[in-house]
Amino acid sequence: MSDFQFGRIVEYLPDLINGAWLTLWLSLTSVAMGLVLGLILALARYSGRKLFAWPAYVYIEFFRTTPPLVQIIWLYYGLPGIFGVDLGAFGAAAVALGLNIAAFFAEIFRAGIAGVDRTQWQAARVLGLDWVDTLRFVILPQAARKVLPPTGTTVIYLIKGTALASAIGTPELLRVGQLVANETFRPVETLTIVAIAYFVLTYPIALAFHALERRFAADRA
Amino acid sequence: MDSLIVLEQVTKRYGADTVLDRVDLAVAPGQVVVVIGPSGSGKSTLLRCVARLEEIQHGRILIDGKLVLRGSQDAGPIPDAATLRALRNDIGMVFQSFNLFPHLTVLENVTLAPRRVMGISSAEAESLAIELLTRVGLEDKRDAYPSRLSGGQQQRAAIARALAMHPRVMLFDEVTSALDPELVGEVLKTMRGLAERGMTMLVVTHEMGFARDIADDVIFMDCGAIVERAPPDRIFVEPVEPRTRAFLERLLEREGGSRRT
Repeated sequence: MSDFQFGRIVEYLPDLINGAWLTLWLSLTSVAMGLVLGLILALARYSGRKLFAWPAYVYIEFFRTTPPLVQIIWLYYGLPGIFGVDLGAFGAAAVALGLNIAAFFAEIFRAGIAGVDRTQWQAARVLGLDWVDTLRFVILPQAARKVLPPTGTTVIYLIKGTALASAIGTPELLRVGQLVANETFRPVETLTIVAIAYFVLTYPIALAFHALERRFAADRA
Repeated sequence: MDSLIVLEQVTKRYGADTVLDRVDLAVAPGQVVVVIGPSGSGKSTLLRCVARLEEIQHGRILIDGKLVLRGSQDAGPIPDAATLRALRNDIGMVFQSFNLFPHLTVLENVTLAPRRVMGISSAEAESLAIELLTRVGLEDKRDAYPSRLSGGQQQRAAIARALAMHPRVMLFDEVTSALDPELVGEVLKTMRGLAERGMTMLVVTHEMGFARDIADDVIFMDCGAIVERAPPDRIFVEPVEPRTRAFLERLLEREGGSRRT
């Protein structure tokens, strides 16, 4: 392994940085989508009303149990053919990953909401707070503290999962890495750099979640 | 005077268990009614029904003459939404387990509902909250989180939070049962102050001395029914019903026993 050679790869660094940017944007878009949709699904599941809970249940189980790679391919190749909607490679990947991660967020959020003591709902109710205000000011802030660690893990999992978008040619980090590896004939070195880039992207997120946890812990002391 | 709280033939079941069995009750404005009885007698459920935290199968509950809860298996008019909205601030409730919002400071606990439900400004809500916290002796704890307070302080904060909505009725559900003995007094003192100000109160408690001092009427409940209702100097001295007498005797024995040790 003494012949690790990074020399020629340096020429491709700008390309790799562009790929990393795209990975970041892909991650941000799908996480944002997943958070919003996940919360809606969690509330629908938690509502106890069949009309809402059932579709949410079917959605969550469907997206949790089918491979995200297949979901990306459905959206990229399937949608234009069946519905005439062409999202493009980035769009299809972002939407597919967002829909997928929403199912995981939904289960995390549902557990978090259910983990808030029932008596908190009752206390809010006798004060006259309506459902929306009870969620917004009483339940969700408490649930948020509980769901921070698993949410952080899921976000990191998703960032690395964006590599699946390489399958439909989205020029994200891994895809660029593969191209560079092909041109330099240095796959091990190139992918090592790609791995470091993923670390650089994800580690600050891990730190941010830890910082949030600490802040909330200090809040309640 | 017309009653502020009226229960008519209220029946509540959990599955096959009848928790409340055709309960009739009327509480006049300014009256302090204390409910006593063995655990499982339905005292807390009675309060929770008045607060509309529970459904009932039969009967009606009226606040200030207006229907707020109707038996789910009865026919007849249902409470209308506008009435419920108008009355939602009328009933304050304090729980055994305080149920403060742990992520909010004492001050935020008290101001949340006035701001969101009554729609008053933050500044107004704050001065109202500070006034109430001063009244319950917690003005110096306004920025503390509940976890930093003793049980007695938490319970007084919960009372201030309920009072901030200017309720016409206060429900107290065994509010001193979770407290260390030396902290009970400060909460009872706060409640006594409320009673002296003419607050209508429905109180479930095991503190018989307090009941004797503060109650206009004492209700003895057993097996989901109201067995006896009388002023404290009658019910504690010469209860009419054998069941009331048996309960009070058991209680006195136990209290006597614990005092000797």
